[in-house]
Amino acid sequence: MRLFFSSLLLLATAAAAQDLDVRGVKADLSKDDPAAAYWNGVPEVNLSLIGQPMVVPRPSTTTTANLSVQAVHDGKRIALRLRWKDKDKSEAGPLGTFSDAAAVQFPAGSPEFAPPVMMGAKGLPVHIFHWRAQYQRDREKGKPTMKDLYPNGSVDIYPMEFPTEEANKGLTEKDQEKFSPARAEGNPQAYSKSGVDEIIAEGFSTSQVQEGHTSSGTGTWKDGTWTLVISRPLAIEGGSQLKLGGKSYAAFAVWQGGDGEVGSRKCLTMAWSTLQLKEGP
Amino acid sequence: MSNVKNWQLKRDMQYAYDEARPKKQWAIVFDLNKCIACQTCTLACKTTWTSGKGQEYMFWNNVETKPFGSYPLGWDVNVLEKLGKQEWAKNGTYQGKTIFEAAPPEERAVHFAPTDDDWMYPNHGEDDCVGAQNTGGHVGSLPHDKWFFYLPRTCAHCTYPACLAACPRKAIYKREEDGIVLIDQSRCKGYGECVRACPYKKSMYNPYTRVSEKCVGCYPAVEQGIQPQCVVNCIGKIRVMGFINPPWKARKDNPVDYLVHTKQIALPYYPQLGLEPNIYYIPPIHADRAYLRQMFGPMVDQAVDRYRTLAKDPTTAGLLTLIGSTDRILHRFTVNNGVAAGFDERDAELVKVPVVEPVIERPAWDEKLETIRTNTP
Repeated sequence: MRLFFSSLLLLATAAAAQDLDVRGVKADLSKDDPAAAYWNGVPEVNLSLIGQPMVVPRPSTTTTANLSVQAVHDGKRIALRLRWKDKDKSEAGPLGTFSDAAAVQFPAGSPEFAPPVMMGAKGLPVHIFHWRAQYQRDREKGKPTMKDLYPNGSVDIYPMEFPTEEANKGLTEKDQEKFSPARAEGNPQAYSKSGVDEIIAEGFSTSQVQEGHTSSGTGTWKDGTWTLVISRPLAIEGGSQLKLGGKSYAAFAVWQGGDGEVGSRKCLTMAWSTLQLKEGP
Repeated sequence: MSNVKNWQLKRDMQYAYDEARPKKQWAIVFDLNKCIACQTCTLACKTTWTSGKGQEYMFWNNVETKPFGSYPLGWDVNVLEKLGKQEWAKNGTYQGKTIFEAAPPEERAVHFAPTDDDWMYPNHGEDDCVGAQNTGGHVGSLPHDKWFFYLPRTCAHCTYPACLAACPRKAIYKREEDGIVLIDQSRCKGYGECVRACPYKKSMYNPYTRVSEKCVGCYPAVEQGIQPQCVVNCIGKIRVMGFINPPWKARKDNPVDYLVHTKQIALPYYPQLGLEPNIYYIPPIHADRAYLRQMFGPMVDQAVDRYRTLAKDPTTAGLLTLIGSTDRILHRFTVNNGVAAGFDERDAELVKVPVVEPVIERPAWDEKLETIRTNTP
């Protein structure tokens, strides 16, 4: 078994799946636009995904087998457009529901060295940009309130959140947060998201959401297909460093929320794609 | 997977991690013959821990009517059905599969994933009696052909927690000092794997904070030698919290060890699931025996028989009178000359109670006041 895994790792690390040419475009990539005209002239690479095979719990089948990827840069930022089939749009919210999501992963150390493709390893960190439909909804409509999640729910009163202004005098958000343990602990999961989580990981179960935001992501779901753009600066301090004219690597993962996929239940590319960053537009 | 010892199954079993028993193991014993489902425990827990946003539906402690009640809906039947045949050998060894052993290779445990709807009926089946009204049976004879009983439930702070095994982020840990199982609120990402994997469904997802939460065993109280809120607020005095040892380290003067290991009248529930849960039940003596055997395993007949003869057993009767007589955690007890006494961790006496309350008869006519006495104390 161990031999199988290590050979799998070797395979995954050494062999790059497909080259991804990152072409320059004359556009401002800080504004995500999945439908922009410049995508029309960019070659699309079709990648094969399989159900995450290493960590239990994992999916029992491959729910997302194909992912189409394009990549461009504007001299400052890189943008990747991902397209995959998903029969329904899932944004999560109430209990037992999960969000559609996708992630792009880069080496966090030397851009030309590819760490183990599945979330890196100790001392060989990776930089992950994790978009969720749920996080995008936060940005567009605000983090859902309990009333948004359960419109017919009825609650008399929440602790430290009283019906009159007078009763609330002197109370701060901190006083209320004591009753929401994850918020009181400062867990980023418990706060409104901007679309994309930036994560540094050194192997399975080590992912850490980074503070500060340089990336963005916008997806549109239409007729059973997600079209998602994730963009980020070429060079990020403490993370992935991309240089025009240079090369690096990228790997991808997709979650079908409607099929209960979340966390380690995901489909992913088993090898790095080589990124070739072309100079000039 | 590791090979670990599960004394409740009298055999080794497969688990995600090595056997690592805590220095002390939090445990609660419930006497189901006394529970009236007043839900005071439920509310004591609710007001202490889950009054915030996203916790509206949460009952870390709940009381459900068995066999028809369940919260979330069908938690027990759903997992039992997936487990397959669950047979015990004559010597008490479990011969079926645990939820870990029955799991397909891509899962840590066979499970069912409750939907939003499943969490919406905490009182489902309340007071529903087994047996149709028109069968001609009545409750005037024993054994009753109509029955139900109340089952109060908290997290069992299992020796082999399925929630902990299933968390791909390793955000769940079992405390070395008292065996309490906690979800790290700063690391959890709300994947809900613990909600899926826990067969007792005692991990719950908070849709407001988007992470999962569970019973914390009232650890801030336990750290100060005080029993959890659901225990100290029990008006029926049906439950006691203490620390249990595995059978090979059992102490006869430890209240929980005595009830579980020495007297063997308190049994784990659904031990066949394989988690070595640490809440123990004195089974209800009038409920259907086949149902009780499925829930509490093959030792249930002996436990019921022993409970029926408690009047002739001053030690056990004495210990049961200590339950609910102090808020502090009992580490040792004695019963001498009709008096039961409980002691704390430093062996200081906490409480002393008579095993049998003296009966005082007062004549109906009060000579001094020249009036008829009423029964009002």
